[in-house]
Amino acid sequence: MNGLPRGTARRIWVVTLICWMSSAAVAETATARIVSAANAFLATLDQKQRQNVMFAFDDAQQRVRWSNLPTSFVHRAGLSMGQLTAAQRSAALALVSSALSPMGFEKVQQIMDGDEVLKANEGGNPMFGKDLFYISILGTPSEKQPWMLQFGGHHLALNVTIAGEHGVLTPSLTAAQPALYTLNGKTVRPLGRESDKAFALLNSLDETQRKQAVLNYHVPDLVLGPGQDGKTIQPEGLKASSMNDQQRAMLLDLISEWAGIIHESAAAARMAELKADINETWFAWSGPTTVTPGHNATAYYRIQGPHLVIEYAPQRLGGDLSNHIHTMYRDPTNDYGRKFTAQ
Amino acid sequence: MKATLPFTLILLSSVTPGLGHRLDEYLQATTISVGKDRVDAQIRLTPGVAVYPIVFASIDMDADGLLSQDEQHAYALRVLHDLSFTIDGARLAPTLVSAKFPAMEDMKEGQGEIQINAAVDLPGGGTHRKLVFENHHQPAIAAYMVNCLVPLDPDIHVKTQDRNYQQSLYQLDYVHTGARVGPASVAWWTGANGLLCAVAALLFTRLALLWRHQRA
Repeated sequence: MNGLPRGTARRIWVVTLICWMSSAAVAETATARIVSAANAFLATLDQKQRQNVMFAFDDAQQRVRWSNLPTSFVHRAGLSMGQLTAAQRSAALALVSSALSPMGFEKVQQIMDGDEVLKANEGGNPMFGKDLFYISILGTPSEKQPWMLQFGGHHLALNVTIAGEHGVLTPSLTAAQPALYTLNGKTVRPLGRESDKAFALLNSLDETQRKQAVLNYHVPDLVLGPGQDGKTIQPEGLKASSMNDQQRAMLLDLISEWAGIIHESAAAARMAELKADINETWFAWSGPTTVTPGHNATAYYRIQGPHLVIEYAPQRLGGDLSNHIHTMYRDPTNDYGRKFTAQ
Repeated sequence: MKATLPFTLILLSSVTPGLGHRLDEYLQATTISVGKDRVDAQIRLTPGVAVYPIVFASIDMDADGLLSQDEQHAYALRVLHDLSFTIDGARLAPTLVSAKFPAMEDMKEGQGEIQINAAVDLPGGGTHRKLVFENHHQPAIAAYMVNCLVPLDPDIHVKTQDRNYQQSLYQLDYVHTGARVGPASVAWWTGANGLLCAVAALLFTRLALLWRHQRA
């Protein structure tokens, strides 16, 4: 430092301070960014639309108004994409995107695109399509007070609770039919990694581990799907404490397909929590243990830990189990972020 | 009924291949909750679109096209009759706690869920217990599921769960560490109770000797 003129040293110090303050600000921006996107979306709406999209934070009915089913079967409240102008729709999707990671938002878009493909496959059936995905806000977007963003429709239910710096994505449902389709010449599998990574883990197990992981009974559907809040079932299968380090890493990587849907800082905190729990986490499999390359698993599997339930459940409807998948992501101790919101 | 079922399934399957709801199964998902002296069971029954006529006909006994309160109650009791609970080999009779039926329109579309809550009282028993649950309701069209909730009572620990492939048969082995074990049993004497009684007996003997010594 002795070699530097006093003015230069002061400038370096000031720049360093600004950089440090900026990085601190960047670290805080996840919630601020989402709040800003929420306010930008709300600013595009007229008063009636705003009334329709906003609910009290403690609105218990709206909180649980989500499903895997089409909106014609289970009514969703809020505003549908079809009710919005192009600018409003862009602002709504920008809000959803701000709350998610790039990977998470891509998955959401692929699920929505899939529903549009289903609509076309069904001869333009009006019960499907991208226009029928709803957005709603519970509470007032705030950097300090808790609030919720809900986005979903057929085969999608995102419940994002924001409470200060915390972001919680449970309970959320991701699903797809078709779960394999071609769009603009590209093959799309919205839940493909959920299948591929699970098979990689299954195939890494030795005979003894596999015997524990593979259940001897058929699981026809999600056990803890929509409407099953607050339940914790007895875990089964292979405990990760009986896996080796590589297998545990594969299990965490598989879990990240759900935990990583939310924006990066919330996902990092969630993954740290789930990593700490890993030895108490179970992996259970029911159904075929082989898969056609490039296709999705036709077997059910469940990952369950002290703060986690993930289910992957192929559906018979449509005739091809690999092409119709439902998945569920829960934290039985913190669904709807209740740990942070004192509900 | 048997003759018409495959035809109905084929017809409806070919008409609605991609609809987002259950089709040709009668999903029957049971969750069991084990307590100290009671087992609660919630049975959620969801008829698929194709099997709805079969299920509806079995509830609508007077065939008037409506489901009266009496018919709903009678159906809930028939479901319970098709269930079986045993504890340590002894048969238990479930009682109906409540039954909730969805709107007929929802059921028609394959997304209405009938919810039946039942309970069975458990007789006293040992520390290690074996609960067996069987579901024989509408086996020709059923897709069964059964799971045990993590017990709320910290004294109850699930040991093993076994099922048959269809999940129509479920066996739960659990340990109840706080089981009511009386002084007549060996278990009562071999635990902390026995030690405390031995210490109390020694103190009593010592006091008796002191008292005798003072009187002398």
